[in-house]
Amino acid sequence: MKNEKPEKTYIRRFGPYRIVEHWLNAIVFAILVLTGLPQKFHSYDLSQWVIMALGGIDTVRLIHRFSGLCLVMVTLQHMLGGMFGVLLGKWKPAMLIFKKDFTDNLDNLKYYLKMRNHPAYCDRYDYRQKFEYWGVIVGGILMGATGLTLWFPALVSRFVPAAVIPDARALHTNEALLAFLVIIIWHIYNAVFSPEVFPLDTVIFTGKISRERMVHEHPLELARIEGKTVEEITGRQPEYVQYAETVSPLSLKEMSKSAVSPESTGHP
Amino acid sequence: MRLRVIISLGVFLWCSWLFVDAYGEDAPLCLGCHGTKGMSKTLSKGEELSLYVDPVQMRESAHGDFDCSVCHQGFSAEDHPEKTFSSKRGYSKLFSGACTNCHTDFKGIHSVLIGGEVGGVVCTDCHTAHNVKPFKFSQESQYCLVCHSQGIHLNFGDGAQLPLQVDPAHIEQSIHRDLTCSDCHSDFSPQAHPQRNFKSKRDYTVASSQVCKTCHFEQYTETLESVHSRLPAQGNEDAPVCLDCHGSHAIVPARETKALTPPICAKCHEDKYSAYKKSVHGAARISEHNADAPTCSDCHLAHKISDPRTAEFHLLVPEICGRCHSEEKLMKKYGISSSVVKTYNQDFHGITLGLYKQKGESKRVAVCTDCHGIHDIAKPPSPNSPEVHAYLAKKCQACHLNAPDNFSASWIPHYEASFGRAPVVFAINLLYKIFIPLMVVGLFLQILLHIWRLVIKR
Repeated sequence: MKNEKPEKTYIRRFGPYRIVEHWLNAIVFAILVLTGLPQKFHSYDLSQWVIMALGGIDTVRLIHRFSGLCLVMVTLQHMLGGMFGVLLGKWKPAMLIFKKDFTDNLDNLKYYLKMRNHPAYCDRYDYRQKFEYWGVIVGGILMGATGLTLWFPALVSRFVPAAVIPDARALHTNEALLAFLVIIIWHIYNAVFSPEVFPLDTVIFTGKISRERMVHEHPLELARIEGKTVEEITGRQPEYVQYAETVSPLSLKEMSKSAVSPESTGHP
Repeated sequence: MRLRVIISLGVFLWCSWLFVDAYGEDAPLCLGCHGTKGMSKTLSKGEELSLYVDPVQMRESAHGDFDCSVCHQGFSAEDHPEKTFSSKRGYSKLFSGACTNCHTDFKGIHSVLIGGEVGGVVCTDCHTAHNVKPFKFSQESQYCLVCHSQGIHLNFGDGAQLPLQVDPAHIEQSIHRDLTCSDCHSDFSPQAHPQRNFKSKRDYTVASSQVCKTCHFEQYTETLESVHSRLPAQGNEDAPVCLDCHGSHAIVPARETKALTPPICAKCHEDKYSAYKKSVHGAARISEHNADAPTCSDCHLAHKISDPRTAEFHLLVPEICGRCHSEEKLMKKYGISSSVVKTYNQDFHGITLGLYKQKGESKRVAVCTDCHGIHDIAKPPSPNSPEVHAYLAKKCQACHLNAPDNFSASWIPHYEASFGRAPVVFAINLLYKIFIPLMVVGLFLQILLHIWRLVIKR
C-alpha cells in the first residue's frame, strides 16, 4: 500500500461490479433525461425536434418507460445487494449519513471562506458523494414508483385512489427536473469541471485512485488503510482530529486500528 | 219625370261619346253586349269562357283605338257567325293567330316561345287579349318575369316538373338583387332562350350550381376539398351543391345563412340535428337565437367540410372548440373557464395530441368530444358530483379498458391545480418551485466558493 513516490501510487477503490453499475446508471439516466425532459418541456422547439427525431411521442414514451424500468431494476438490485452486504457483515455501511457529514459540509464552507486553513477530513465517501448517492437512491425509488403509476394508471387505480395519479405526475415531473439539475450542476462539476479532477474524474471508470488524491479527499480512509494517524497523512497539526473524533460514528482510533484491505472497506 | 228623362238621356249621350271617342267604329256596338259583366259561353268540353271585355281596360290598351274586327275577323255589325270551340286553350290558340297579321317579326324570346324550341306558347299567354300593352323594360328581370311570374314549369326527362315561377319579392330581399338574371343564367337573354334537357330535377340543380363559381371561386375551390364533393363519385347524387344550402333566388347574406345552417344541414343529417337541438349549443342557438352559440358551420366550416370521422379531424377538435372556449371575454359572459383548452393541452392527452399533430400521425387520443359528447354537448354539472364521475368513468373506459369506476378521479377537472382544487398537486408543485431554485443557487455558490478557494490557495 505504501509507496515512496506517493503521486504515482494508486489504490483500488471500486471493483468491476461497481464500475458496470455506474455505467448502467449513467447510460440509463442519460436516456431518461433525453426522452423525459422533452416531454416535460414539450412546447419548446428543441424538445419537439428531439421527439420527432426519435420517432414521435409514442416511441419516446416507449424508450422512456423501458429505460425507467432498467433504472428501477438497477436501483433495486443495488439496494438489495447493499442491504445484504451490510447485514452479512461483508461491507461497512460507509454510505450512511451522519452528523459529521453536515459538519463536514459546514467546515468546507468555512474553509472556502478562509475561516479554516484546511478542508474537512473525510472518510471513504465525503458528504457530497453521500448526499448524491442517497439522492440517486431515493430519487430512483420515487421516480420508479411514480413512473410506473403513470405507465399503468388504470391498474394502479384498482389498488389506490385514482386521485394519486395527478399527484404522481406532479412528483415525477418535478423530481425529474431536480435530479437532472443536481446531476448536471453538482455531479458534472465534481466529476468533470472541478479543477481538482479536470478533465475527468476517472476513478469510477478505472476503479483506481491516486494516493495523492486520497490524502486530499479521503484522509481518514487512507489513515486507516495505512495504519497512520490523520496528521501523519495530511502533515497538519491535529486541530481537527479531536473534533472529528467526537462526531465520527466510528471513533477515529477504532478506524485507524482496523486497517483492512481497501477492497473490503466501505462497499457499496 | 222630366228630370229622369233628362238624366238618362245625358248618361246615354256621355256613354255614346265615350265609346265614339275611344273605340273603333264597331266597338260601341260590340261592347253593348260584351261590356256586360258575366257574359260567357260554355265550351264543348264544359269549360266556361268569359266573353266579357272590360271597356276601360280595352280603351287604355295599346290597341285601344282598334275596331274589334281588326282582331276578331269575320265579326261585324252585320255578321256574328256562330263558332264552336272545344276548350279555352283552343280558343286562345286560334285568336292568337290574329296577332301575326300585324306582328310578323318574332324576335328574341318570341322566336323561342312561339313555334320554336319551347313551343306551345301563344301571344295571349303573356300579353293577354284585350289589355295589350307595349312592354318597355327598365330591367332585364322585368323582361324575364313577364313569363317567369306565371305558373310555367320545366319538364324533366323523368316526368318531374319544376315550377319556373320566380317571386319578385324573393329577388328584392336577396343579396343578389342588383344582379341581372343573365348574370347567373348566362345562356339566357332577351335574345336567346336555349332549350335544355335535364334528366331529373337533381341534374338541373347540380348543373345550375356550376354558375356560382363564376364569382365565388374561393368558396368553390373550398368545396372541392369538402367531404361532400367526394360523394357524387361514390354514387351519392344527393351530395349538396351550392343551391341546396343557399337556395336560388332568395339567397341571403352569409351572416344570415349561418343562422339557418342547422335546418339546412338537417335536410340530410337529421339525427345530428335532433341531438344538436337538445344540446346546450343548439338550444341557445335555436330557441334563444343566441348568435354566440355555434351552428354546424362553426365547427364543420361552410365549404371546406372535412370528414369528421377521420383521425385528422379528431385531432383538430380541441382547436375547434378552442375558437370559442379560449375566448376570455366570450366565456366570461357565460361563467365558463377560458383555460379549458390550455389545461387540456398541458395534460397527458393534450400533449400527446399536439405531438401527434406535429408529426402528422393520424392516431387517436381523447379530445374534448370524447368526454363532452359531440352534437349532444350538455352543460356539465358540478365537476365533482358523483354523476359526473359515473359518466366520465364510462368515457375513460372506452380507451382504458381495465380502468375501475373510480378512475375518473385521476383527472383534475380543467382547472390549474390550486389550494382549493387538487391541493396535493398544488403543494408538490409549490414545494419544488421553492426548493429547486434554492438548491440550484446553493450548489452554484458552493461551486464558486470552491473555485475561488482553489484560486486563492495557489
